[in-house]
Amino acid sequence: MNKKIIYSLVGLALIFFLGALIIFLNSKSGAKKKDLAVVTGNNVREELKAPELLKVKIFFLTEDPSYMKPVEYELERPTIYQEIYRKFVELLLKGAENAVAPVPEGATVRSVYYIEQKQLLVIDFSEELTDRFPAGSTSELEFIYFIVNNTCYNFKEIKAVKFLVSGNESGELTGHIDIENPFYPDQMFLKNLME
Amino acid sequence: MKNKFALAALFALLIPLAMFPLSLVVRTYDHPGFTRLVFESIQGFHYKVFQSTTGLEIQLKEKADLKEEIVTQSVLIDKVVHRLENNKSVFNIRLKSPFKVQRSFVLENPFRLVFDLASSGEPAAKEEVKNDATKPETTKTGAVNPTPSQATGPASENPLSPKKQGVIETICIDPGHGGSDLGAVGKGDSLEKNITLKVGLMLKQVIMSKLGIQVVMTRENDGEVSLNSRVSIANNRKAHMFVSIHVNSSFRKAARGSETFYVSLKATDQEAFLLSQKENQSTSTSSPDEEPRDVVQDDELKMILWDMAQTEYIKESSKLAEFIQEELNVLLLTGNRGVKQAPFRVLMRAAMPAVLVEIAFLSNSEEEKKLQDDAFLNNVADAIYTGISRYIHYYNNPAGPGG
Repeated sequence: MNKKIIYSLVGLALIFFLGALIIFLNSKSGAKKKDLAVVTGNNVREELKAPELLKVKIFFLTEDPSYMKPVEYELERPTIYQEIYRKFVELLLKGAENAVAPVPEGATVRSVYYIEQKQLLVIDFSEELTDRFPAGSTSELEFIYFIVNNTCYNFKEIKAVKFLVSGNESGELTGHIDIENPFYPDQMFLKNLME
Repeated sequence: MKNKFALAALFALLIPLAMFPLSLVVRTYDHPGFTRLVFESIQGFHYKVFQSTTGLEIQLKEKADLKEEIVTQSVLIDKVVHRLENNKSVFNIRLKSPFKVQRSFVLENPFRLVFDLASSGEPAAKEEVKNDATKPETTKTGAVNPTPSQATGPASENPLSPKKQGVIETICIDPGHGGSDLGAVGKGDSLEKNITLKVGLMLKQVIMSKLGIQVVMTRENDGEVSLNSRVSIANNRKAHMFVSIHVNSSFRKAARGSETFYVSLKATDQEAFLLSQKENQSTSTSSPDEEPRDVVQDDELKMILWDMAQTEYIKESSKLAEFIQEELNVLLLTGNRGVKQAPFRVLMRAAMPAVLVEIAFLSNSEEEKKLQDDAFLNNVADAIYTGISRYIHYYNNPAGPGG
């Protein structure tokens, strides 16, 4: 009698152990199947979704003061989302064909910071911005609102833009417009077709 | 034979041109102390001027394409009547009261014959003011540009009588840039700093001679002056007006014209600044028991008081800018870019009505040529002066005719 009970218990334990083993092995093979699927390209899972593209539209100046030329771009959404602001500003500086980019030659972006609580984008430009800027209040306003209007148009979470030069708050660009305070979009200085 | 044919062809072309009447515009403009009468045409014309006790008669050698009676709304001029005599235009300018011709001159591009008429208590002189014996055919090719020496009125005919000058006693003129700060540079190597200094000195001379008002300059040579120092000079000298003179530049090569700015202090900028101040104060507090509110309130109060002071002058600055820009449009016929607001650093701390005048564009090659011409710069100074004098008249007579 005792032997029967023992054999039964051992059998149950074995069954339990085997069951657990089967379940464990199944889970592993599932993952492998997924991997296989990734490798073979069949049944692509969500992990393989194509990188998200963000469409932006930049309005460039032209020699016609009543018209700004819209150019569309696609930006790949970076892992850290805020880096997309830097990519966008670099596009602004790059310019476009048959358009006037109101940016001094050689000016680059050193860094970009987004302050969420103030909805403020801070752009730090290289020293070439002031060193090579063609003096004139209109050229300063063209540059400022080209950057500000386009940025706020494409990124609704940004309400204002502040400019730094070489990491410092520069008083003005070439002796005209005060750039210590942030700028909000203003259509007065750049007539455009932004809806 | 060929020469005869060419001459005949040329003659044949000229006849139709001679048949076209002269396209002429007649304008009047009331200024403080005088009324300006302008005859303007794209092409020059020959003229004779006769003066009587009741008015002027301008006889042209051409027929002008104009209505019979030119309606004017002027304090001094009653009407301008146009008639034809032997197919030549004659203009009778009838005045409402005894008058004298304070000055007259000719400008080119386009051709303008200008008379500044002032009211006088005495019967006007019967002599001819100017006739084409003194200004013959050279009026087509030569031009006499207005200079302070052309003012013929005596000191008592100063547009501002002493009693009206009580409030505005000092004007600060700020020629932009200077020293190593060249400002804008044109393709023809014109430098903004030199142009602004020239115009500033011309403006100083005309203001002092015609208005008898003290003028303070932020610089009178090619020295370097910081933006903060410029406005400090005006504040410390208790100037009643601040006029900064600049020449413009644009990334668009076709951009042209003049514009006048006054300071922008937008509410949103102020709010952002106040908010940032509050946040900076609250986050810098180390102890939770420490109350940062007093510091914040003190800064807020200072900002509010400063804001009130600035706002008080914004309306006046707007008016001053409006008058100056109107004169730039009239006298220079440059493109009118209007009056605008912008956060100019040099205007932001001025404790008086303050404007910044952008004369024209150095980045535009056509306008650069004009800016290299002293006669043009003299006209600019004259236009700014007239705008200032209109503002002073408005300031002293806010209920009267607006300048």
